[in-house]
Amino acid sequence: MAETLQNLALGFSIALSPVILWYAFVGCVVGTLVGVLPGVGPLAGISLLLPATFGLDATRAIVMLAGIYYGAMYGGSTTSILMRIPGEAASVMTCIDGYAMARKGRAGAALAIAAVGSYVAGTASVVALMLLAPPLASFALRFGPPEYFALLLLGLFVLAYMSSGSMLKALAMAALGLLLGMIGIDQMTGYFRFAYGVVELGDGIGVVPVAVGLFGLAEILATAGLAVPPQVIKPALRELLPTRQEWRESAAPIGRGTVLGFLIGIVPGSAHIISSFVSYAVERKLAKRPQEFGQGAVAGVAGPESANNAATSGAFVPMLALGVPSGPIPAVMLAAMMVHGVSPGPLLIKQQPELFWGFIASMYVGNVVLLILNLPLVGVFVNLLRVPYAILYPSVLAFCILGVYAVNGSVVDVWIMLLMGGLGYLLRKLDFETAPIVLGVVLAPMLEMALRQSLAMSDGQYSIFVARPISATLLGVGLILITLGLQPLVTRGLDWRARLAVAEKGDEHP
Amino acid sequence: MRLSRVCARAVLATVAVASAQEPYPSRPITMVAPFPPGGIADLTARPVAAAMEKVLKNPVGVLNKTGAAGAVGMQFVATSKPDGYTLLLALSSISIIPEADKLFGRPPAFTVDQFAPIALISADPTILVVPADKPWKTAAEFVEDAKRRPGQISYSSSGVYGTLHMAMELLSHAAGIKLRHVPYAGGGPALTAVLGGHVDALASGPAVVLPHIKAGKLRALAGWGDKRVVALPEVPTFKELGFPDAEFYIWAGVFAPKGTPEPVLAKLRDTLRAAVNDPDFKGAMEKIETPIVFKQGAEFARFFEADAGRLAEGVRKVGRIETK
Repeated sequence: MAETLQNLALGFSIALSPVILWYAFVGCVVGTLVGVLPGVGPLAGISLLLPATFGLDATRAIVMLAGIYYGAMYGGSTTSILMRIPGEAASVMTCIDGYAMARKGRAGAALAIAAVGSYVAGTASVVALMLLAPPLASFALRFGPPEYFALLLLGLFVLAYMSSGSMLKALAMAALGLLLGMIGIDQMTGYFRFAYGVVELGDGIGVVPVAVGLFGLAEILATAGLAVPPQVIKPALRELLPTRQEWRESAAPIGRGTVLGFLIGIVPGSAHIISSFVSYAVERKLAKRPQEFGQGAVAGVAGPESANNAATSGAFVPMLALGVPSGPIPAVMLAAMMVHGVSPGPLLIKQQPELFWGFIASMYVGNVVLLILNLPLVGVFVNLLRVPYAILYPSVLAFCILGVYAVNGSVVDVWIMLLMGGLGYLLRKLDFETAPIVLGVVLAPMLEMALRQSLAMSDGQYSIFVARPISATLLGVGLILITLGLQPLVTRGLDWRARLAVAEKGDEHP
Repeated sequence: MRLSRVCARAVLATVAVASAQEPYPSRPITMVAPFPPGGIADLTARPVAAAMEKVLKNPVGVLNKTGAAGAVGMQFVATSKPDGYTLLLALSSISIIPEADKLFGRPPAFTVDQFAPIALISADPTILVVPADKPWKTAAEFVEDAKRRPGQISYSSSGVYGTLHMAMELLSHAAGIKLRHVPYAGGGPALTAVLGGHVDALASGPAVVLPHIKAGKLRALAGWGDKRVVALPEVPTFKELGFPDAEFYIWAGVFAPKGTPEPVLAKLRDTLRAAVNDPDFKGAMEKIETPIVFKQGAEFARFFEADAGRLAEGVRKVGRIETK
């Protein structure tokens, strides 16, 4: 412990030096912008800016790139809450209740809670990263394809709790998402599936165009279709801050989201998106009034936003402790280290203590910077809502197209987004929820890959899933969940979900 | 409307005349890296572009045109104007993709003869690594065990028909063994899998596995190169062990679209020869621990043809993968 403190002191002496502080600040600002821009998520942001860091030394470059990464997670919530456009894929769940809060004039509160939740999650998970990185990393390595498959399956079971309307409709949407996720190169055989000669479809349907289309564009279309334009919300200054009640209701979700996000984050794979879905489902399950979810429940913002930030730090665990990438973003950061002549690996912490501890300390500093940066910005961002729709929506549309295009420089992605916008509009009219589609699109390729890798490992023996302790445990938990989910079907009673659906029929589309 | 069309035509005509006369290069050159930033193609393309810029005194930008395991970017260059302003930094996969397309009977995204090879920049042999707690101490033990238990020893790769898969297939064929293939989505996850002990072996570029070998987590058994890897002098090559057909390199080379005028190609060859001797370029390649191997003209063409032949053969040997 004493050694850790000594090291941390070394770290802070580096992180608080004006130069490093400046790069952390720049990273945070850029990250926030990246997060705010619809479509452009942390991966695209880091990839686009990586070459710009080649001239810097290793510590500066890593500190700045990490700032962009977690800055984007902060910023991602902004457009989700204000305009129902996920700034990055992990903010999809924030769109639902965050936007509902904004419609009720609580945009400021939602933004503030998202920022504070992100701060708490960010800071707490850096503590965990600092103290537990080596043991956790070796645990994370035990997650092979069978364990990953079980985890993803668990994520899918969570769907049963996600919808507020009919479970049948939610499952139908999830199935649609899973089907869309089947498009692209078959990773096990190299076969192009459903690509119809479009080379770009080889990579499958990206989650970004789907999320931006289904949420953002559909919202814009739906608003345009109203006979009377909705009233412009004019937030009053005193309504910017969350009420005492809202704070109280967010405290526990922030805590749970942090733990959940961090744990999911350390698993190799790109599970950080799932962390926000799982957190949302957990909060709804634990809520005293689950019927508020989807109508502006503050826990539906606090939980997922904390979870996706904690997952960010979790993803650094295998990267720093072992030098293995836990997802595409850490992979880019590892490349950045190599460019600077630092070979990432199990000896990094010993050989490059300045880099490791400077990085850790800079994450503490960065989270404070982001909080300071984001809280005052709440007031600025909320004023965006004052802009008349005739001006706001066309410019938002332009930003969506730009953002989605920028990720891969692909026009095909823009078309996917536009198609998804149309689909999202139709589905809204028919009272289908679209979040399960996004989850399906995210999960399908990972689930399929993990299943088929597991079977390749075991030469086709399904027993591999129960023979390995971690995957057996996860599958057991999943089985319990699905049994609980099916219970209302057996007992034939109306659960809250059905009651809510009945109630909703009365006051549809105010 | 009509006026604007006339104007546009006039502008186009001027551009055409100008381009017939202007010396090469007189506007920015784009170097397409068909993989995302941070990958080996990108990490090579950037210092190459920077060094070319110095030599040519003309901007050279890197464009990451990614997708479909590189096919999107390669197709983009294959079909762009052969004027020397759009270049490609390709890896070995350039000769694998068309072969795989052929295998599946689909219209190829591009073919190898749509490109004019300019120069080879680097070539890194793959090395065979296994988790340190596995029983095999030498490549001979590994091969022997694989012969005893066909299809039981597993390995991870960066993806089906990917470079790391091909390396292993060439070895399997040369040694007459059968291994179990578990493809992953990229080299990073493939490394994680072997570190976690979920698979038994991996063929990998030396740079990424070196720290893990030094830390005692992985053991290197043999290399696919012509010569031993400088950083691992005690690790033999498969050639030395009696498997001369197990030769494989992860290489990076610069290509132009076919039909680029010869004077432009000559200028680019000269530029690249000067560029690889630039100290900044050397420093950048040293940091990513990738050895510079420069070949141009006929020498590169020979290397490329031999490599493409081996890979095409490899793809055909693997054939279409039938899953149960």
